[in-house]
Amino acid sequence: MTGTDYAAGTDSTADTHSTARAVPVLPSRLNRALLAVVRIGVGLLWLQNVGWKTPPNFGRGDPPDGLYLSASYAVSDPVLPPFAWLMERFVLPNFTFFGWMVLLVEAALGAFLVIGLATRFWALIGIAQTVVIALSVLNAPHEWYWSYLLMLLVHVALFATAAGRYGGLDGLLRPEWELSRSWAARWLVRVS
Amino acid sequence: MAGAGLMNWYRRLDRAAIVLGLVSIMSAAFVFVHGTFQLVQIGTVGLVVALVLGLLAIAAGWLAERTLLIAAGVGFLLAATVQLVLLAGGGSGFLGGNASTFSLWLGLGAGLIAIGLVPRPEAIEETSQA
Repeated sequence: MTGTDYAAGTDSTADTHSTARAVPVLPSRLNRALLAVVRIGVGLLWLQNVGWKTPPNFGRGDPPDGLYLSASYAVSDPVLPPFAWLMERFVLPNFTFFGWMVLLVEAALGAFLVIGLATRFWALIGIAQTVVIALSVLNAPHEWYWSYLLMLLVHVALFATAAGRYGGLDGLLRPEWELSRSWAARWLVRVS
Repeated sequence: MAGAGLMNWYRRLDRAAIVLGLVSIMSAAFVFVHGTFQLVQIGTVGLVVALVLGLLAIAAGWLAERTLLIAAGVGFLLAATVQLVLLAGGGSGFLGGNASTFSLWLGLGAGLIAIGLVPRPEAIEETSQA
């Protein structure tokens, strides 16, 4: 996907689109391309893995599997006692609702990180979702805790570098959003 | 100079729409891929959706036609919504996809609509004349 690959930021509204290319954040084309690869790769991680979240039961049954089994590790192999209590009392008994929330959040993470739209916002959501997953399965059998730490760190990197500006729609559309006075455009400037 | 930059920017928007269309067409290949590397589940009807809407997005970008861009985007969002409803019923349904398919079509739809909502020269001229 094409993008401006630059941090847009000019005072003049007349030539914002043309001068937005004047301030490169990452000077190397290779570095910008690599950052786009990282963002798309992380998006594909979410996109593929939302595929095994299967409604309407999300694996709740006898024996449990899928998302319900993963979530139940928070209780059987607790990482943080207050989180285990929350899962046991509220999440597992109302699992259909929380299963749908997980499906929608992870599908949106995949969708928006791949195209690079509102990337910094979705990087923050990715951090939050990674923390929830880590608190659920970190002590489960055969888990490698660095997997979740790496997931967390890569989302921090996407946020810190505003990765959607490189080969993503954020980079392409920011000049237009900066010219607009609508609340949606102002929000998109902040989260892109 | 600013005008040339602006036209160049519009061309980049159109190229982005073409890329999104190409992504949809490439995703059709997953009808043949199963197992570890199946990023997205595409069934027979889903294959038709991916090809038709992908070609529509490419045509929209090629012709720089805003209405077609938005139509392709809305088409992907509709397909994503139908897939989600079918999943809620407990299976892949006639589209043959899964939640990954929903995610892909959501991204393509949102991206095409975001590009399509950018005002083009005709709209700008009409606004300035008003």
